[in-house]
Amino acid sequence: MSNGLPRAAVVSAFLRSFLIQGSWNYRSMLGGGFAFAMLPTLRRLFTEQPARQAALARHLELFNAHPYMSNMALGAAVKLEAEGADADTVRRFKLAVRGPLGSLGDGLVWATWLPGVSLLALTLYWMGAPGWVAAATFLVVYNVGHVGLRLWAFRVGLAHGREVGGRLAKADLAGWTERLQGVASMLLGGLVGAVLLGGDGLRAAGPVWVGVAAAAGAAGLLVGHRSWRPAAVTVVAAVVGLSALGWLS
Amino acid sequence: MPIVLYRVDERLVHGQVVIGWGSQLHPDRYVVVDDDLSQSQWEQDLYRLGAGGAEVVFSGCTEARGRLAEWRDAPQRTILLTRDVATMSRLAEGGALNGESIVLGGVHPAPGRREALTYVHLTEKEMADLAVIAAAGADVFGGDLPDSQRVDLDHLRRRWNSSN
Repeated sequence: MSNGLPRAAVVSAFLRSFLIQGSWNYRSMLGGGFAFAMLPTLRRLFTEQPARQAALARHLELFNAHPYMSNMALGAAVKLEAEGADADTVRRFKLAVRGPLGSLGDGLVWATWLPGVSLLALTLYWMGAPGWVAAATFLVVYNVGHVGLRLWAFRVGLAHGREVGGRLAKADLAGWTERLQGVASMLLGGLVGAVLLGGDGLRAAGPVWVGVAAAAGAAGLLVGHRSWRPAAVTVVAAVVGLSALGWLS
Repeated sequence: MPIVLYRVDERLVHGQVVIGWGSQLHPDRYVVVDDDLSQSQWEQDLYRLGAGGAEVVFSGCTEARGRLAEWRDAPQRTILLTRDVATMSRLAEGGALNGESIVLGGVHPAPGRREALTYVHLTEKEMADLAVIAAAGADVFGGDLPDSQRVDLDHLRRRWNSSN
């Protein structure tokens, strides 16, 4: 049992959260997926159809946040509903929490974890690891962070309910994002070095590309920490990928 | 430093305001005028998380009317937010916002509201309140982001009139 709910309902909510973007649309965004994840909880809490439908309708309303971090809102909503919170409290909680969960999750995952782990895999490949090792490293490391973040967020929500604000501030996700971006910047420098020195890399493509890569590496060292952007990483990764395929050599 | 932006947006302190407007206006402070939120610590804790390090002040509408001059004269650059037209209308009573620009951001569909813009939906009362604010001397317009096209109140009203 958790918050008076059978464990199966709570586990089901967590598992369903992996599909939270399944019905994404411009009108309700994550609303449909959120309601889908809440359904096992609502079925157990509201046995009368009108009450169940009203509860389901309030979770179908517009909701948007980072999909992994939305688990914190989901866990908290499960707790609030299980404790019998009134509809207005649940609605106001979801209104207030979606902004921080969106911005913190975007910064941590889309702008840092995804490009950072991509860089790690590419660096391994350029240091001579077989392709499957680089791909497997990416999939394992990325998803350890991905599933771990979903699980942590859900548990925090379930434990703290509408009071997640204090716990979220204490977790200092913005600080973690900054630290991880430092590691990713270092990996970017390592990747440029590996590409420059690799026998099949840019060195074989000729002095022009070596010059371009050296200039990019120097620019990265000088201003990379201030201009870390997923788009910049994508460009570097694309150049490295094309080079790996021999298109530039 | 004057208040650099007055905005009606249900989402209050969120990405479009903090990143979209904040990156151009560089606010030191967000003032959220809302009677309910000014009494709710747990909601304030949540909204503060999205402010990107800027100070966030929560104020009831009556208190806010008394502090407008203080916020305008303070050295901090301030963005003032309300979640609905009704609160902005109360704030503007007596010509308190004359000469100021008021941007309509996210006001989402609800029973009784009609679409004026894809991101602004208004009831008849809200449209009438906006007309009063504008007639008193404030510049009211629609705009989700600082670089997107400004939609004047007259144009917004025509679109609202023609929507179902």
